[in-house]
Amino acid sequence: MHIPDNYLSPATCAVMGAVMVPVWAVAVRKVRTEVSNARVPLLGIGAAFSFLLMMFNVPLPGGTTGHAVGGTLLAVLLGPWSACISISIALLVQALMFGDGGILAFGANCFNMAFVIPFLGYVLFSVIRDVSKGRRAEYAGLAAGSYISISVAALCAAIELGVQPLLFRGPSGLPLYFPWPISVSIPAMVLPHLAVAGVAEAIFTVAIFTFIKRVSPGTISAAPKPRFRGVYALLVALVCLSPLGLLASGTAWGEWGIGEIGKMVGYVPEGMRRGFSFRALFPDYAVTGMSGVIGYVISAITGAAVLVITFKLIGLARRENRRKALT
Amino acid sequence: MLPQWLLRDEQYFPERDRDIFIDRSIRTLLTLLSRLRQREGGSEEKVRVNPGVRLGSTLLLILLLSLSRDFLFVAYAGALLLAILSVYRAELILRVLKTSLPIATFTLFVMLPSALWGNTSGLIMITLKVFFSVVAVKMFVSTAEWGSILGGLRIFMPRLFILVLDVTTRYLVLLGELSVSLLVALKLRSVGRNSRKQSSLAGVTGTLFLRSRQMAEEMYAAMECRCFTGSYPRGSTAKISAVDLVPLGVGALTVAVFAWTGMR
Repeated sequence: MHIPDNYLSPATCAVMGAVMVPVWAVAVRKVRTEVSNARVPLLGIGAAFSFLLMMFNVPLPGGTTGHAVGGTLLAVLLGPWSACISISIALLVQALMFGDGGILAFGANCFNMAFVIPFLGYVLFSVIRDVSKGRRAEYAGLAAGSYISISVAALCAAIELGVQPLLFRGPSGLPLYFPWPISVSIPAMVLPHLAVAGVAEAIFTVAIFTFIKRVSPGTISAAPKPRFRGVYALLVALVCLSPLGLLASGTAWGEWGIGEIGKMVGYVPEGMRRGFSFRALFPDYAVTGMSGVIGYVISAITGAAVLVITFKLIGLARRENRRKALT
Repeated sequence: MLPQWLLRDEQYFPERDRDIFIDRSIRTLLTLLSRLRQREGGSEEKVRVNPGVRLGSTLLLILLLSLSRDFLFVAYAGALLLAILSVYRAELILRVLKTSLPIATFTLFVMLPSALWGNTSGLIMITLKVFFSVVAVKMFVSTAEWGSILGGLRIFMPRLFILVLDVTTRYLVLLGELSVSLLVALKLRSVGRNSRKQSSLAGVTGTLFLRSRQMAEEMYAAMECRCFTGSYPRGSTAKISAVDLVPLGVGALTVAVFAWTGMR
């Protein structure tokens, strides 16, 4: 998943770097204020640990081996902000010392591996653990968090690579950087992660967590509990960035309308033509009578708001239940 | 008098076991350690140019390489880099090429199918750009001591990052050695077929984590004993001298060539 230099355009690298700068700034501030001084050396040693984790080969079904990133594990053990700094440093050492991952692409690589994996993994882990309590839920959260987060990180890398031929072409119309479109890059990146790397990550994460919990249970509870205001900020940022989706001219892989399938395959499968048709409020994320970008942003805000409201209501219901159970 | 059971002829042939993953892990870790030790050995070429200036000019070259769409500029940058590389010792040249050639070859394979569809110029340009960018980074890193690289990075990064980076590189060796010992111990203790070896891997890495935690605590105690108060004072950076005018001049020439090729 380490993107080398010149696969991404300098503009993309600048955007990804600009996304990461506030994340690092907040992470440094959080670590200074919330993490005690005594834990600061742990960040460095955590980075060395994360670097070495990527060197361990995990046996996989079928006789092959794969290696894990350990982002979710570090987020659970050290807290997501500390994990973000540790993995960023590990990636910097890899880029500088071993030429693994580009210097200009450092921001993009950090976004995928030091931001998406620890934060998404941690959020999924916390939500699953809190929704259904118990030891099994904890392990399920850990497995799901690590498996999904590494796959989503691969998806992010695939999108970053796949938009290059759409956005940057020379006068002759040929791509200037990574030449393959999203329709090729996504299956090429995501499928191996779903099949191999995700499995390795989940097995490794759960196994190490189980071991540490058995041998030294105090270690795990010592991680500070973060507040998720940052996640809301990310949601807002994603809403603002959503018009980027418009840049992709084609319909997403596997999301074709019936007409499009007809054009591609030559006929419309019977089950699809007669199937259930749902008329959405904002069909194809467009609001009638408005320009594409504005409609897209409005759809994004609405969607995000609906999600936030739903989760808040679920939280309220759970609190009420707990209060009833107590009285 | 020897007991009977000692005199009995025993034939024990341990079942063959597959431990590819342990061998592979040990091999990767040993490669990492040997590279880190080479760096510590102080066998680096001494370059007297200010590390900040060198880091800045390396970054500038990589950025311009990435921005350029003219083959002439890529050729100029390549010529410049290869000219500088040719002055290095053979071991260093080998080390630079050992990293950059595999990455360039991988890029060539990724781009190859698109060349079959007519994008041959992209194939050559992107492969060369990737190759020269990695050569530039490796040239900088293999001739600078880690301390001076940190000094150069200090201009761009918060001090907490620098501290963490410094700790990381120091402990990479210690933890690397520890993990090799743990893996070798696991291999030696598995006689015959050991089906529980895979679950022991979690133990190896788990122990590694617990040990790193302990090391962190000890290190903090040592830092406190040396009057660490939680702030990281700015250290002195080397001053710019007359030797630095050479890379600054080359940098200016590179920008001029970039501008000229852009306007053609």
